[in-house]
Amino acid sequence: MNDMLLLIGRSLRNTMREPATVLPNIAISIFFLFVYNSGLSSVAELPGFQGTYLGFILPVAIVSAAVGGAGLAGQTLIKDIDNGYFTKLLLTPTRRLSVIWGPMIASAIVLTAQVVLVMLIALALGLEVVAGPAGFALVVVLAFLWGMAFAGYAAFMALKTKNAAAAQAATFAFFPLIFLSYTFVPEEYVTADWLRWAATVNPTTYVFDAMRSLLNTGWDWVSLSVGFGVTFGFATVTGIMALWAARGATKMS
Amino acid sequence: MTTRSDSLDRGIAAEGLRRDFDDLHAVDGVDLEIPGGQIFGFLGPNGAGKSTLVKILTTILNPTAGRATVAGHDVQKQGGRVRQAIGVALQDVGLDPLMTARELLMLQAELFGTPRGEARTTAERLLVTVGLDDVDPKKRAGAYSGGMKRRLDLALALVHDPRILFLDEPTTGLDPASRAAIWEEVRRLNDELGMTIFLTTQYLEEADRLADRIAIIDRGRIVAEGTPAALKRQVGDEVVELQFGSSEDCQRAHDAVARVAPNRQTSNRDLRLYFGHAAENVPELVRILDAAGIRLQGLTIERPSLDDVFLRVTGEALEHEVDEAVEDATVAAQARS
Repeated sequence: MNDMLLLIGRSLRNTMREPATVLPNIAISIFFLFVYNSGLSSVAELPGFQGTYLGFILPVAIVSAAVGGAGLAGQTLIKDIDNGYFTKLLLTPTRRLSVIWGPMIASAIVLTAQVVLVMLIALALGLEVVAGPAGFALVVVLAFLWGMAFAGYAAFMALKTKNAAAAQAATFAFFPLIFLSYTFVPEEYVTADWLRWAATVNPTTYVFDAMRSLLNTGWDWVSLSVGFGVTFGFATVTGIMALWAARGATKMS
Repeated sequence: MTTRSDSLDRGIAAEGLRRDFDDLHAVDGVDLEIPGGQIFGFLGPNGAGKSTLVKILTTILNPTAGRATVAGHDVQKQGGRVRQAIGVALQDVGLDPLMTARELLMLQAELFGTPRGEARTTAERLLVTVGLDDVDPKKRAGAYSGGMKRRLDLALALVHDPRILFLDEPTTGLDPASRAAIWEEVRRLNDELGMTIFLTTQYLEEADRLADRIAIIDRGRIVAEGTPAALKRQVGDEVVELQFGSSEDCQRAHDAVARVAPNRQTSNRDLRLYFGHAAENVPELVRILDAAGIRLQGLTIERPSLDDVFLRVTGEALEHEVDEAVEDATVAAQARS
């Protein structure tokens, strides 16, 4: 455990030394929050809309912060591999998985901090979480898990390609998922069949649903179960992919 | 004095070690028996298989076949124990450019299980050892020069007082001053701490100066092994080097002196002849060349170098181009002897 903590600490310290790796991502999330909230808030006046538009759009900013923050895990691993430090760590008695999980968990911590920051800004803008403080915490947990799922994918791409640009591109490929969903208006106002179809198969939709239920309507166990179920499923798949790639990268057999 | 268990504890052994990359046999059946406390030099040109062998012995690459023990532990089955016993500085240094030297050393020491307070002392001591103690403590490793990075990387390999130290081409690309500093440190670690040192190099001089014993590796196989002195004696006690104006002249001379100097090899425009006593053969050589009308540009008598050994066993000089006929002849001669 100690070696894992040491390596998490190292990755966090490195992130503080290179704020440029996280600042753009935070800025984009906050930008989403301000621009869409002020530009589209009249959506909340449509008949049948529940809660506030701020509570509706906030999950978009949160998921964007989580997905972007997860890319950091892949970037850290690629930097370590490129500069040879990854091999240096493999030559210590450190457990193999710590070398990979250290940067991943550090990225998850950074990502969670970003999510909390975005949510605090939303509170300052007048957000009222219908499900209360526990609901607030659960939104953070869901964002953390969703981020870890992406971190697994980013680590997989990093260990497989060992190429910073390729891994970065692979992470960006997931950004459209944020918009192929009921991103700006509730389901009942979307008429295009292709978008309804895309939103149904897009796992992000269920994460939005779960977060929106906590923020805007209260404890909706169906939305929560589906949201957490989809997230766990996705995280399990990418986690297995990352472990499989890690086996190859650390044993080099 | 080393006892038998001491020797096992600090030694390296390998049997039939092989590593294939697709069709390439990077390491092709290597046997090793290195007793503890030695400086063992592993000499070979680029691509001979040196780094691959080091990676296998240091547990970061699995062999395709064969087995090896380092410090008495199997490299494949007891990787953790091997890593605890060895220090490694690979050819490509492994430094996190965002960290300072002290941070890197302390983290490395802690990953080897050293408590934090002690890790700090170790870091300071090693910075003095490798001569980096007067560098600005805030300077990050990314801003270090090549030589400084190499020295810091060596210090990282020493944080846990390893019993065996692996150095993969530790001085390649370094200026003469940095090279001398590393040589001195290697010798000190061996003298004072009895550390076993496994050193790969493509510099003959480095192997000659440092190593107690040398193995020459070529295309994945060990082609010669012994003390530097014994290896040099294999080729002869003295060398006559004849220099010519063209490689054609050199080749004609090579054929002409066959009867007087059966042990000989060419390297570009130089012909090297090996004798028990060189001086008494010189007049005859000059007569033969004169009779054949070959113009001699220079003649020197010297002791054989490891270069001669290398040329003889691999058929190739480290830095020169070589006549292929000689390669075949010398390899065949080596196989017979």
